[in-house]
Amino acid sequence: MRLIRFVAFTVVRAWQGFWRNAMMSLAATATVVLMLVLLSGLFIVLGGLNSGLEFIESKVGVTARLIDDLPAEEVDALMADIRQLPGVAGVTYVSPEMALERLKESYREQGLTLDLGGAPITLYASVEIALIDPSFAGSVQDALAGRPEVERITTRQVDYEKLLGIIGVIRTGGIIALGLVGLTVLFMIVNMIRIAVYSRSGEIEIMRLVGASDSFIRWPFILEGILCGFIGAVITIILVAIVWEPIQPIMVRVFQMPTAVSSQFLGVLSAIVLAVGLGVGAIGSWISVRSNLSSAA
Amino acid sequence: MTGTLQRPYVAQPVAAEPVITMVDVGMTYPNGKVALVDINVTIPAGDFVFLVGPSGAGKSTFIRLLIREQLPTAGRVMVAGRDLASMRRGQVPGLRRRIGIVFQDFRLLPAKTVFENVAFALEVTGAGSAEIRDRVPRLLSLVGLHEHDEHLPAQLSGGEQQRTAIARALVHDPAMLIADEPTGNLDPVTSWDLIQLLIQINAMGTTVLMATHNQEIVNAMRRRVLALEHGTLVRDESGAAYEREY
Repeated sequence: MRLIRFVAFTVVRAWQGFWRNAMMSLAATATVVLMLVLLSGLFIVLGGLNSGLEFIESKVGVTARLIDDLPAEEVDALMADIRQLPGVAGVTYVSPEMALERLKESYREQGLTLDLGGAPITLYASVEIALIDPSFAGSVQDALAGRPEVERITTRQVDYEKLLGIIGVIRTGGIIALGLVGLTVLFMIVNMIRIAVYSRSGEIEIMRLVGASDSFIRWPFILEGILCGFIGAVITIILVAIVWEPIQPIMVRVFQMPTAVSSQFLGVLSAIVLAVGLGVGAIGSWISVRSNLSSAA
Repeated sequence: MTGTLQRPYVAQPVAAEPVITMVDVGMTYPNGKVALVDINVTIPAGDFVFLVGPSGAGKSTFIRLLIREQLPTAGRVMVAGRDLASMRRGQVPGLRRRIGIVFQDFRLLPAKTVFENVAFALEVTGAGSAEIRDRVPRLLSLVGLHEHDEHLPAQLSGGEQQRTAIARALVHDPAMLIADEPTGNLDPVTSWDLIQLLIQINAMGTTVLMATHNQEIVNAMRRRVLALEHGTLVRDESGAAYEREY
């Protein structure tokens, strides 16, 4: 019963305290929102790029376009040789007919029809080489470079490495920006609680004199910081939910690859945003209470 | 002015032990200022004691040691037989509920009514609403403010504000009530009203320690007087008057 009364007292006092210094509280909440929006943006972009990376990883392999009319025995021999190369997971022969069928399929996926105007078309036969790891692409490419059966070698290794570089830059820049904004948020919350403590110093003194325990004095202030983080997190989650659908096609357009992340990711992101909001609020107010109430309480 | 006394609260003095014991107590602040020197005092339960002395004599330090706002740099301070220096931080709130304290400047919360000011002292120690509804009206009745319970401090006279502060100080049935210059901001008539209230509270078993400069009151009451001068206890005399030995 006493615990329930303590919780009720703390919640009510924290809520009253939050609105008593409304301007400061709302300013601190706004910085929390700014930080969490930045965090969400970083997670969404990195999530999208990672899903694009996975797509490329699945495609990174080496495609060896074969010369015209290569006899089947030579194709088999070439494929046998390729299987012996380090890092090769599998080899698939793609006939000109299969290549044409794939082309038509890719048109259909975009809602288009491949119109050849009745002209016969023959695509190249090729051998598609799946790799254990994209890093083997270079050595496989080198091994095939001098083979007379192979007319041209293509790989998405360059795309892959470029994307890896972009992800690295965004991740590093994002973490630095998040760190700076995070420090600003902590500073705001620490000050918000400091002002709250000073504005209620009379009350705190009376609480001490009438025998209030440390927890009754401190927890309303800590909860006030947590409340700030919680409100900031809820606002951010609502904002992210609103923009979630519209940004998916934009990301595909910007990054020129299927970056769409699952809606399950939204749930995970919301949990992260909530946890970070509550955590920052709690840490900021705890620091402030420690430094401003340690001697007083 | 004061309400009918029907034991609205029950003080809890420890009969077997003195409420306050100070043994060889000294207090020197970090800046080198000596506030108290070699104080030896015992205050039994139920006593009414005046603490007198000029400004800077050490009265405030004396009081701060009793409520463990500070620890002495020498000697021991014991409340109800308990050495305050050995008390853990978490036990201090329990000590402060056994010692009610009022100040010259009342220290009421201006945005709270009389009732809320008294109830606040219960709320912040985890009391339930039933206990608050039961105890606060009885205490306000004791101090004669039952008809002013909805008033804000600004709507009260100085005497009424001090009575509200006394009601708040008594809310945990303390064994001792410390009054630090309680009449300092009051006119003579109101001061006497307040003294009558303190006498009633003392008669119900609560030990009262009153720091004061009010010579007239000390002389008229003829109670025990502790006189401090330059941090030294220069007089500890029962049935005494206010003497200007300093």
